[in-house]
Amino acid sequence: MMRWGAFFATTVIVALIIIFQWPKIKQNSKKDKLAFFMLLLIGWVLSMFDLPNMAGPTTWIEALFKPFGKFMEQ
Amino acid sequence: MEKGKISSLQMAIMMYPTIVGTAIINVPAITGLFAKNDLWLSPIWASFTGFLAVYAAIQLHNIYPNQTIIQYCEEAIGRISGKILGFMYVIFFALMNGHGIRIYAEFIVGAFLPKTPISVVTASMILICAFTVYTGLETIGRLGQLFFPVFFLPLMIAIFLLLPELHPQNIFPIMENGIMPSIKGAFAPQAWFGEFLLISFLLPFLSDIEKGRKWGIFSVFFVMLTLVMVNLLVLFLLGANLASYSYPLLKASRYVSIADFLENLESAVMAIWVLGNFVKFSVTYYCLVLGTAQWLNLSDYKPVVFPLGLWTMIISFWGIPSQMESTEYSTLKGFPYLSLVFQTLIPLSLLMIAVIRKGKKKKEQNG
Repeated sequence: MMRWGAFFATTVIVALIIIFQWPKIKQNSKKDKLAFFMLLLIGWVLSMFDLPNMAGPTTWIEALFKPFGKFMEQ
Repeated sequence: MEKGKISSLQMAIMMYPTIVGTAIINVPAITGLFAKNDLWLSPIWASFTGFLAVYAAIQLHNIYPNQTIIQYCEEAIGRISGKILGFMYVIFFALMNGHGIRIYAEFIVGAFLPKTPISVVTASMILICAFTVYTGLETIGRLGQLFFPVFFLPLMIAIFLLLPELHPQNIFPIMENGIMPSIKGAFAPQAWFGEFLLISFLLPFLSDIEKGRKWGIFSVFFVMLTLVMVNLLVLFLLGANLASYSYPLLKASRYVSIADFLENLESAVMAIWVLGNFVKFSVTYYCLVLGTAQWLNLSDYKPVVFPLGLWTMIISFWGIPSQMESTEYSTLKGFPYLSLVFQTLIPLSLLMIAVIRKGKKKKEQNG
């Protein structure tokens, strides 16, 4: 399921970041620019999904440490 | 990469809201759930991880001067495994930052701005922190100094104003069921104390490194004292069933009533809270940005500041459908374990490896 509102907002945010940051990082090294655009691109792609109701890092971490949960049971 | 310098005192002052800022939101409730009326003991046990983190960070910095944990990972355990560990640390700090902002935003929305979408609260906090991080470490250091009295004094004033409402007898019976309940209650706060590992990102930029250890330890101690005081306050005010409130300290601030005149102080409390959390997230965000830039070997950290802000936003939502889920993850099922591994156990093992390797090198040189 896509959430159009969140996706649209993220697109605007990504566009604004590029517009304001590009003049400043134009003269930086190729690697800097690559990191800048890759992080934005992956973030933008992720925003297409219905993130709150998807399995995420918290789900995986909770599953990973579940065997240790016995200690904290009341 | 970072040309600014801060003093050890500034580091200690920056770390104070970094721990206390979110630790007084929902940690007292989960501590109270396990420790009942012994909850004031829990921060004392929990501070152990804080002292260990400071010790490990300082010792490692002595062995690898002017390097952050991302940089000396490679030197300590080899190039490829060091890179992998560094990557895990970057992810860990990104998660810590994102989930911390979620705790803060849930608190603001839940308690004060019920009709505001939570994304507005997270986005505005991330944006203002991004501007701060962009200007560098010195700015954050000075902001910390500037806002420390504004964050700290009202907390003390609140305690003073609440004195007539307190019931100190709530503290008894002390350790009715032995020491275990208070140790279980320490499980959540130990994760917050572990965040003292963040000083490994600040130590390379200290102008007076010889005082770093003293101020680091002092900061842990001061945080511990504050949390003990906050827990005592909510215990004296709300009794042992304080765990039924999601935000005990906020509840406590609603009790302030002087001569029917000085009332409804919680809005002032919120303003102070926002201020403290602003410093907190600037520090964690800065460490995340610096760590990422160092891990990628970038020439400057500025290009990744805003993209990582977007990531923080994404992480604060990803897999967390509700406030309950966020609290459960951060105080019980996820973050405390993760923090114990990444901010206490791994740094101590790194230190052990580094010491052994250094000993070997010396032997080879002498032999």
